[in-house]
Amino acid sequence: MSILIDENTKVLIQGITGKEGSRACKEMISYGTKVLAGVTPGKEGMNTEEGVPVFNTVREALAQFPEINTSLIVVPAKFALSAVKESIDARVPLINILTEKVPVADVAVMIAFAREVGVRVIGPSSVGIISPGKVKIGSIGSGDIASRIFIPGQVGVISKSGGMTAELSRILTDAGVGQSTVLGIGGDLLCGSDFVDIAKLFEQDRQTKAVVIFGEVGGTYEEKLADAITQRQITKPVIALIAGRFAETLPQDTVLGHAGAIVSKGRGSAASKIKALKEAGALIAQTPEDIPNLVKQVV
Amino acid sequence: MKLFEYQGKDLFKKYGIQVPHSVLLDKPMEGISLGFPVVAKSQVLSGDRKKKGGIRIIETKEQLPGELNTLFKTEIDGALPGHVLVEERIEYLKEWYVSFTYDTDKRCPVIAVSGKGGMGVDSATIVELQWLQGHWGLPSLDAPFREVAQKLLNLFEQEHALLAEINPLFELDNGVFIAGDAKVILDDNVVDPLFRPFLDLPGDIAILASGGGASLINLDALILAGGKPANYVEYSGNPPASIVEELTVKVLSKPGLRGCWTVGGTANFTDIFETLSGFVRGLRRVTPKPTYPIVIRRDGPRQKEAFEMLERIAKEEGYDFHIFGPETPMAESAKIVVQLAYKS
Repeated sequence: MSILIDENTKVLIQGITGKEGSRACKEMISYGTKVLAGVTPGKEGMNTEEGVPVFNTVREALAQFPEINTSLIVVPAKFALSAVKESIDARVPLINILTEKVPVADVAVMIAFAREVGVRVIGPSSVGIISPGKVKIGSIGSGDIASRIFIPGQVGVISKSGGMTAELSRILTDAGVGQSTVLGIGGDLLCGSDFVDIAKLFEQDRQTKAVVIFGEVGGTYEEKLADAITQRQITKPVIALIAGRFAETLPQDTVLGHAGAIVSKGRGSAASKIKALKEAGALIAQTPEDIPNLVKQVV
Repeated sequence: MKLFEYQGKDLFKKYGIQVPHSVLLDKPMEGISLGFPVVAKSQVLSGDRKKKGGIRIIETKEQLPGELNTLFKTEIDGALPGHVLVEERIEYLKEWYVSFTYDTDKRCPVIAVSGKGGMGVDSATIVELQWLQGHWGLPSLDAPFREVAQKLLNLFEQEHALLAEINPLFELDNGVFIAGDAKVILDDNVVDPLFRPFLDLPGDIAILASGGGASLINLDALILAGGKPANYVEYSGNPPASIVEELTVKVLSKPGLRGCWTVGGTANFTDIFETLSGFVRGLRRVTPKPTYPIVIRRDGPRQKEAFEMLERIAKEEGYDFHIFGPETPMAESAKIVVQLAYKS
């Protein structure tokens, strides 16, 4: 088992002929992911290097490949809303947005649409999702990195930061701790799925015995996870690494790292997140290298 | 992008929200075309300007030059004002608070309203907006200024604001509402998509960190190891060498540096050869030539090629590089740069 993606995942890539899209397509296929079709408006009829057919619209791609159950969005930021809306209208149950710098107003609309029809959005600014040994979507684990740093196992990893998905997984793998599913939820102010949404999936997943999260200063998603642990919605052990403690010393409203990381007083600071998670019973890692030992304490 | 009060009020005017009559000054003046008393406000981005001496009530024309002189010379959180906004003083019945922002708990836009203007959002009632026929709809309000709220919502949507706040909103005895202050933050993804956070910090170890998350965790690690960071900057994604080159020049041009830490985790897709090539090109442009220790810790696609290139450059051009891959934790490399930088 794993969450979100597995052997039955059949992917449509929106923005498949772009630089990031074509690279992701190639690497996903070489990892064993079933990429059935792509969409780039105006490029209908062509095939990618790997032989994936390209369509003008999601609807046309779905007509040909009704078994598609996952959309990967790799279009420029200003087209992200309309691309996501196409997949929502087609009721694709899982939509993973890699695009960065999507206007927050557009993300709010995407979330409203997705809620209305009951599809899951992950991202924007997600690095992708990998269920090691089975399948991956997005830019996570490029090239030979995937087989080197991700191995199948019992730990679920949820990260606001794309880069840290790789760093944390490498540290876990080097310590002999495998992963069930690893994903980036993005660090934007608004995200389609937050820590709680994903932790609930890990809670239901028999393979997953513990959840590792990488959080950051800004927003309230970490505090929400602490609340969910306290309310026993999440009962599996949670190990958290929270970045941005230094920001306490900076003026208010300083924007750091990701767009969601606006320093504000009270909730939202790294200290408030660490305190909330600790009180809820999560284990707090001081550095990435602490994580495998903490995992071994609870698994 | 956070706007100054006067910029926010210009937007208010554009959307039909009333603001006090005002004059914007860029230097102290002897006289102004407003009746006294007036309120003079330092145009800085910090909150709590009143407590920090950035707002002064001026009763008479005679007091004006002296008061303005003081305001223009008063630093607020380390910043001198470029402008002072002088406004007529408003006689009001009541002060309100109203704002639109995105709520990360509910993940949608919300309106916050309070009958205690000046107190801020803490005492406000927060209500979610509903998406209706292509727009965010205004809920029913427990406040008499629906029209002003709708105008502020129009501004919030059309200007791509992350925050549009009026605090206080003055209610006059004739039923008119006037915005006493303006706090507007615009979405950088729309108004400044090339924005990269950069902070000048008071320390002496320069940092070039890649990855939004890793850069934060690494600054924490450097401080924990006893290092004093000279700056905060990060490059995310898979930037071309030219971006890294320019950032390198910017960061390493600061005088008095004792070390440089180029750090990142194991990258998913960042081309390590490309980004470190940019670093080297930037390094060559820095004068005087850096002789301090430069600790590089990186992993990811094309790491091997990148490290061979760095070792060759160090030998040929005489840089004090200390190069580490994934076998050395990022936090460990923080300790190494601190030891090397401060050993003499």
